[in-house]
Amino acid sequence: MHLRRGYLRQARRLTTATTVLSVLLAVAGCSGSSLGTDHDRRSGTIRIGLLIPQSGVYKVYGPEIKDGFQLYLDTHGGKLGGHPVTVTVADEGDGKQTAVNSGKRLIQSEHVDVLVGTTTVDSLLGLQSMLAEAKIPFVGTGGRASTLKDISRIWHTSWLSREPGAAIADYLRTTVNGPVYAIGPDYQGGWDQVGGFTEAFTSAGGKLANDGGKTAWTPWPGTTNYLPYINKIAASDAKAVYAFYAGAAATAFVQQYAQSGLGSRIPLYGYGMLTDESLLEAEGTAADGIQTVLDYASDLDNDANRAFAAAYAKAHSGASPHLFHVTGWDAALLLDQAIAAASTGGATPTPEAINTAIGKVGQIDSPRGTWRWSSQHTPIQPWYLRKVAQDGRGRANVVVQTLTTLGN
Amino acid sequence: MIATFVATGVDGLAFGLLLFTVAAGLTLIYGVMGILNLAHGSLYLAGAYLAAGMADGGLPALGLAVAAATLLGASGGVLLDHLTRPLTGDQGHLSQALVTMGLSLLAADACTTLFGAAPRPVPPPTVLDGSVHLGAMGYPVYRLAFIIVGAVVAVGLHWMLRHTTTGMTLRAVIADPRMAAATGIRPTRVRTGAFAVGGALATTGGVLGAPILGPAPGIDTTVLALSLVVVVIGGTGGVLTTLAAALLVGQVQTTGVLAAPLAAPFALFTVMVVVLVLAHRTSPQVRLR
Repeated sequence: MHLRRGYLRQARRLTTATTVLSVLLAVAGCSGSSLGTDHDRRSGTIRIGLLIPQSGVYKVYGPEIKDGFQLYLDTHGGKLGGHPVTVTVADEGDGKQTAVNSGKRLIQSEHVDVLVGTTTVDSLLGLQSMLAEAKIPFVGTGGRASTLKDISRIWHTSWLSREPGAAIADYLRTTVNGPVYAIGPDYQGGWDQVGGFTEAFTSAGGKLANDGGKTAWTPWPGTTNYLPYINKIAASDAKAVYAFYAGAAATAFVQQYAQSGLGSRIPLYGYGMLTDESLLEAEGTAADGIQTVLDYASDLDNDANRAFAAAYAKAHSGASPHLFHVTGWDAALLLDQAIAAASTGGATPTPEAINTAIGKVGQIDSPRGTWRWSSQHTPIQPWYLRKVAQDGRGRANVVVQTLTTLGN
Repeated sequence: MIATFVATGVDGLAFGLLLFTVAAGLTLIYGVMGILNLAHGSLYLAGAYLAAGMADGGLPALGLAVAAATLLGASGGVLLDHLTRPLTGDQGHLSQALVTMGLSLLAADACTTLFGAAPRPVPPPTVLDGSVHLGAMGYPVYRLAFIIVGAVVAVGLHWMLRHTTTGMTLRAVIADPRMAAATGIRPTRVRTGAFAVGGALATTGGVLGAPILGPAPGIDTTVLALSLVVVVIGGTGGVLTTLAAALLVGQVQTTGVLAAPLAAPFALFTVMVVVLVLAHRTSPQVRLR
């Protein structure tokens, strides 16, 4: 009897544990937090929704996009196109459900005129039908999936997710003497980023070192231990590795790659976020020598970048800006020009008018260099090969060469 | 190929033992009080940030960090014990889960405010840095050292529970709190003690595990979810079943993904379901009927 009661209690506890675990897993997917609930409807005010990661693997990039956007507002009298703006921030999380919930709130409850932000491609994929229904423009600051259906109201100041890999493919094919191992996270962003590389690389005659020529996908976003995958790379005949990881996942991958002793044997190449400046301190010596492809480097030599870097350093005690500061800044810069053009006679433009005006903006004088829209509504821009090295002030991504210009 | 599996198997051992140190604390708290401490991952995260702040590449600093973490974890445990004590009755489990989960959200936000959203570096002590060759594979020395420490913790915990008065008192309270109280044991004091030890295990795991699973936003939920899986698989049977469950989870997460990469995203939960079904089929509770 006593024995039986003990087992029953244990069984009941086990049931509780299982239930709580499933609730926890469900909640983890939709823990949307939000700041700012300003229902400003004064005439003349443009309402901006800023959807950025405040949790999850890409959390580190959220404040960067916001700071870039805010820096533009602060240095331009808090107005875009002559109109005061209210900015409502919501959490993007790891994309998927959190982003959908937050986006829904911004669009349907806050009635924003323009939605700005996102890092992972998943967010926009989940929101595209809602955006189309609301007929408001979206200005993206991060990855753009290759699978979007309708881009008539979708603009990215960042890039197409397939572009970085395509930009570096030819360089790796011609400089690496042998097969290259491709690895990335198992979601649309990874498929696009690594797929852009493998497609351009193999179609030009390059050989992948992966089993059966198939890219290694790691579960997303749950993977924290990359050693099993790295061991598999070590067992292959790879002469180089091309990886796409960003945020906390990038730090883990880079550190474990170095710890496994592979860093000195097989050179690691990747998308720029692998060694993003926000992660370099955490990655430390493990990042040294890694070469990446990106459309920006803090030390780019042009007038806009010098002015931008100086303004950023002034506002943030001497720090240098990163890529996501630039895409955030460019989103505000773009909207400033578009809203100004759409405000005929000082009237407050409708979202539809803003959208039309965005498409007509000719040139954006970005810290990346001047860019204009491609037919895909992303910048036509050059891509750079950068190498992690000491630049006098500390560890940085130093530009090695310009790889190519993409977009048409 | 065999070398790859050996190196990965060793890594599974290291990962499993890391999970064990955290999950053992969770099981202890759960076993003694039936409280599912959803703030357990936050204690790990606190330990990891502590390591990030104190590590300077030397072993003394690591020792000091472990001592500080023990203290921090124990006080955190006592605090959690006092906060959850009034939450009993029919709605007890739900209230406890909500309170500890709320605390973990607050702690996660506090960590981001204090330490920023970027992952923090925790280099292993210089003497344990670098890698050794396991067959043809390189393997981080620190993880090998961690295997030894983890094994010592497991053996120590098992010995403590089986062969010391403290352990027997704990087991008595787990088995039957009323009877234990009747023999003169004070269950409330034992509960506080269990919470303190459980908390200390989590923070210590955080300090020692930081070079493997370092401090970053979201690591608290990762650790908590994996430990909960360990508790669900291992039940509250004791140190040995928790250890077995942790090692199993460790291997599924390492050699598992190497052997069947396509199954990697759901392998862990498949194993959990299989174990739950088998455990239910073979549990004495069913046989008694």
